[in-house]
Amino acid sequence: MNSLAKERRAMGVSMNSLARERRAFGRIAKAAILQDLCQKSTGISMIEANGVSLRYKDGTEALKKVTLTIKQGELVYITGPSGSGKTSFLKLLMGMEQPTGGTLRVFNHPMNGNERKIRKLRRKIGPVFQEFKLIEGRTVLENVMIGIRFLGISPKKMKEEAVNALHKVGLGHKIYSKVENLSWGEAQRVAIARAVIRKPALILADEPTGNLDHENAVHILKLLTSFTNSNTTVIITTHATHLIENEENATFLRVNAGEFTIERSRNGGYDEDIIL
Amino acid sequence: MKTLFYNIGYFRKEAAKTVGLNPLSNLFSLLGTGLILFLLGMVMMGWSVGNHMIDSLQKEAEISAYFEQGIGREQAEALVDEIKRVDGVREAALIEEEEAQNRMKEILGEEAHILELFDENPFEAFIEVRIDLDLMDSVLKNVKEQKEIEYVRDNREVLEQIRNLTEGIKRFGYLVILAVGITTMIIISHMIRQGIYHNKEHINTLRLLGAPNSFIGFPYLLSGLFLTLLGGLLAVALLRLLLESGYHQLGGAIPFIPLPTKEELFGNSASFVIMISALLGLFGSLFGLSSIKPNDTK
Repeated sequence: MNSLAKERRAMGVSMNSLARERRAFGRIAKAAILQDLCQKSTGISMIEANGVSLRYKDGTEALKKVTLTIKQGELVYITGPSGSGKTSFLKLLMGMEQPTGGTLRVFNHPMNGNERKIRKLRRKIGPVFQEFKLIEGRTVLENVMIGIRFLGISPKKMKEEAVNALHKVGLGHKIYSKVENLSWGEAQRVAIARAVIRKPALILADEPTGNLDHENAVHILKLLTSFTNSNTTVIITTHATHLIENEENATFLRVNAGEFTIERSRNGGYDEDIIL
Repeated sequence: MKTLFYNIGYFRKEAAKTVGLNPLSNLFSLLGTGLILFLLGMVMMGWSVGNHMIDSLQKEAEISAYFEQGIGREQAEALVDEIKRVDGVREAALIEEEEAQNRMKEILGEEAHILELFDENPFEAFIEVRIDLDLMDSVLKNVKEQKEIEYVRDNREVLEQIRNLTEGIKRFGYLVILAVGITTMIIISHMIRQGIYHNKEHINTLRLLGAPNSFIGFPYLLSGLFLTLLGGLLAVALLRLLLESGYHQLGGAIPFIPLPTKEELFGNSASFVIMISALLGLFGSLFGLSSIKPNDTK
């Protein structure tokens, strides 16, 4: 009798979990269809560069007449040797530098002049800097929360979001550690958590896998690229081409001595979303 | 406003970190500010005492009208009635010789035995006239014009001297406020600039994340405000000590003139010093923040 009851209970549990899984699958399928529809229907330009050049004060020509359009929800990898202009391009997108030629629009706003407007635009961007730019003397949690402190979110919600973001990057166990005590790879993940916590419309990641081992690098790339599902544009510069060569839903740009060329577009073909 | 409210804890922590960056230098800044504000508090007290003296003397403003000794009591009382009718006279009363002597005895206190050296009462009867100080000139003229009046004694000179002294203290006070203001603002803005240079990486990161200047600057403003308020409290403590030890000596030095009460004197000066320290902290911090150019933190 006992064993029969046990089997019945076990069967009941299995049925329940099956029902839960069906419901979950239904939700995921619906979300995927919606996202796909959204991507297809919007096609809004996120970044428009028209003959953009950048020459630093010392005369170095970092970018030469770059013309391209990147749309909402796009995943773009920028590869190229050191000093080719990858970081300079991201700096332009962040408004850290201003084009010395051509026009650049991000979120349909010109990236020149008004510092206040640029500061507002930056709130929609999730930046992952090559040198992390974490604030020393503060905990991991405080560093992640700083990304959303000025967005009018309650302290409780801020903490909740920060803890979630840290769990996503695998640092849930280090929330109260001081950032200066983290390894290079952990610091990189904190920087990523700080970028993604704001649910940005545009993620700009400068060599986000540069200091990670293979396993962590794959995990971080997966995490960053997953944001394209919520219609976030993700632009990643990287040297680690071996990690991304099998990526099918991305566009690959190669930059060499400040000149951009399209290496491979989404799904292997030429992509009209990117005009060079 | 919502952001400000939600981040009070963060701002407080950041402000404490800024203050803690250079503890020794900030401690000296605090002591310097406290001593400067103490100086201001002392000037304020002097000002307050002077004003109180003038007010009291104005309320008590009176003249003494001396009449011919030959006239009888009835005639003297008729003269009092006549004086009462003069415009600007609030009250007039006949003071007999004996009362005049008693008053002097009261004033002299322990030294009153000196009056026993006189065989006769040396004081004359007179008419005490309380007047409206604004009409002093016309009252004096009208009283002097009375037939039986021989001479009139007024305390105009004393009043003028006190008024001049208070005006002097007031002018000196303005100078001290200016000096205190400039010095405190320089100290505080220097401290803010130091804090900003120490935290330039932090500030640059916040800028890159899109934080508005108000959010970036608020902790520095708080730390400036905190230091000057602490300096103000130090000044207030010193003022209290000064009053506790020096109030009676001050009273002894000028026994005929009423002083404001100790609590009144302290309350006025302390609230002024605290208010000024808060304002200076605020403006000093804003000055420090505004003097930073964007390139300074890159």
